Amino acid sequence: MSSEEAQRARAGRNGGGNGSPSPTSALRVGVGRAIAHHGELLQGVFEEGDGRLHRGLITLPHPSLQSVATFWPCETGKIRTRPAHPSKAARAVALTLQHLGLPGAGGDLTIESEIPVGHGFGSSTADVVASIRAAAAAAGLTLRRSTICRLAIAAEEASDAIAYGDQPVLFAHREGRILEHFEGEFPPLVIVGFQSGSRTVDTLQLPRARYREEEIQLFRVLRGLAARAFRRQDARLIGRVATMSAIVSQRHLPKRRFPAVVAMAEEHGACGVQVAHSGTLCGIILDGSKSDVAANAAVLAAKARSGGFRGVTTFALNAEGTLPS
Amino acid sequence: MTADYLRAFETPRFAPLAPNLVAAAFPLMKLMPARYMVDRAEAAGELVAGGHIVETTSGTFGLAIAMLASVRGYRLTLLTASSLIDPKLRHRIERLGANVVAIDDPAGDGNQRGRLERLQELLQQDTDTFWPRQYDSAGNRLAYARLAEQAARSIGRIDCLVGCVGTGGSLCGTGGFLRELFPELRIVAVDTHRSMLFGQPVGRRMLRGLGNSVLPGNVRHEMVDEIHWVGALPAYAMAHALFREHGLFMGPTSGAAALVASWFARHNAEASTLVIMPDAGHRHADTVYDDAWLSALDGWPVPAPTHPIEQDRIVPGSETEWTRFLWRRRSLAAVLVAQGGRQEAGPTA
Repeated sequence: MSSEEAQRARAGRNGGGNGSPSPTSALRVGVGRAIAHHGELLQGVFEEGDGRLHRGLITLPHPSLQSVATFWPCETGKIRTRPAHPSKAARAVALTLQHLGLPGAGGDLTIESEIPVGHGFGSSTADVVASIRAAAAAAGLTLRRSTICRLAIAAEEASDAIAYGDQPVLFAHREGRILEHFEGEFPPLVIVGFQSGSRTVDTLQLPRARYREEEIQLFRVLRGLAARAFRRQDARLIGRVATMSAIVSQRHLPKRRFPAVVAMAEEHGACGVQVAHSGTLCGIILDGSKSDVAANAAVLAAKARSGGFRGVTTFALNAEGTLPS
Repeated sequence: MTADYLRAFETPRFAPLAPNLVAAAFPLMKLMPARYMVDRAEAAGELVAGGHIVETTSGTFGLAIAMLASVRGYRLTLLTASSLIDPKLRHRIERLGANVVAIDDPAGDGNQRGRLERLQELLQQDTDTFWPRQYDSAGNRLAYARLAEQAARSIGRIDCLVGCVGTGGSLCGTGGFLRELFPELRIVAVDTHRSMLFGQPVGRRMLRGLGNSVLPGNVRHEMVDEIHWVGALPAYAMAHALFREHGLFMGPTSGAAALVASWFARHNAEASTLVIMPDAGHRHADTVYDDAWLSALDGWPVPAPTHPIEQDRIVPGSETEWTRFLWRRRSLAAVLVAQGGRQEAGPTA
């Protein structure tokens, strides 16, 4: 696109509308990617400086599963998707183009995702975020992560923090903004994950958890411990945060055989257990800096399989070395 | 939400005293539960604009709630005993616009019963009156999630918590949350001789600001691993040492807590230990930090003792003594039965 058009696009909402070339002509083919997550390390309600409570979560990124969106500009004025069903992704593209000062631009959106749907991997948000990035790339632009989150919320009502990749944040998933940027990074972790049930969950249809005062105050303490864990890359502390959050979650969306998962984690000296608070995923958290972590993960994965858990996978976050697949 | 500085004021500084010992040093700890309880009462509609707060207190909870009431425009009536209130503290509270009512106290035991009777009268006279009930309301424990959060943020893993017990709010509140994070957490309670909280017979107490003559519901005996009774003089001596050795100018209850915590940390080098220090020393400049006042005390000066006297029977010590008893997370009744069935623990508040 010409520099004039790029300038107009960068000017955002104030640009556009001067008639001449169609908005679609300012676009080229754009590709965007987004990673999955494996549920959360913490989810609850959290106080901000103003004393108000906000629903929020710390996402556990799953960098080895991705959604890839490709946007092909096309002079139809409409946004068509392949596969046809993810209308949220199409909405996200339209919102993004509008944000970039290109309302009415059209094209075909293709989503190729390796993320399973409906278990708490954040497949829907990953599609939406990948699509937003694809639309921005089509306009030759990049977007701030906070803008991506805002657009994602506008497209699908609730979101998660995967636009922030593997940067640890406490994210207000109904508002699309950060409650706290944690200092530091994720500790080296290896997660042995599996399904605690076979049914899939439509995240947005779940009733919002109503937390007791004791739980709200416990979330405050868990947030403090998470901050410490990220600052010091302490796998054991983050495991404790996740286990406590999962225990609270049992009252709101119980996982079948949760006590068995906790027992398995304890028996193998794991750091803790995490869950998808609005899904069926469970994960056993291992310290990725330990020399025997790969062997331990393999034993746990085999045990989970023989124990009848489905969809057993192992993945690493911030850890070095290779894992058995 | 009002933009009040008191939210910041309630935050402690974390002072390292030894490689494995950190103190949470508060200027005025009671602001934490006071603000929490007032915030919740506002949110629940129990406290309306210009409303009336009443409480029975003779200590720093009164000062804290008077600061809040003044900043937020509430009327406040505090019920205290004529024998207990320190005139300087009373003047300070009154300067904030609070009405301090000193109930006669012929027996010199604080006359908690008389104070509660008057409080009930006030509640009946004025239906818009809010009573925080720091002794028994769960809010006084839940408020300390803020301390647990801050401790977790700055210290991380904590193996032992040491703190004074008066209402039970700070130790049992903080300890409850920290034990959720760290189930192995040891909780070490600090009381003073002739306080009834942990089974001693009630009598005249020289060290104020901890202990009690009645039993508040917020004291959760089943959480406590061990109990120490610290006499006034070792507490004063340790408060002096904190100032000399660390520049920490704290009240005498902080001295008592630090005495116990330092001993524990020395003998448990692997245990990451947190000690709660409830208030600054300025209120005690004319007493605990005044040589003339101190020299009139029987037994002063004392060196700060290096270790407690181990007890297996609960008996009051002198004001120069420091005693220790392994409570082992039992109820008060269970301990008293094991001690030979003494049932003089008194009524619950």
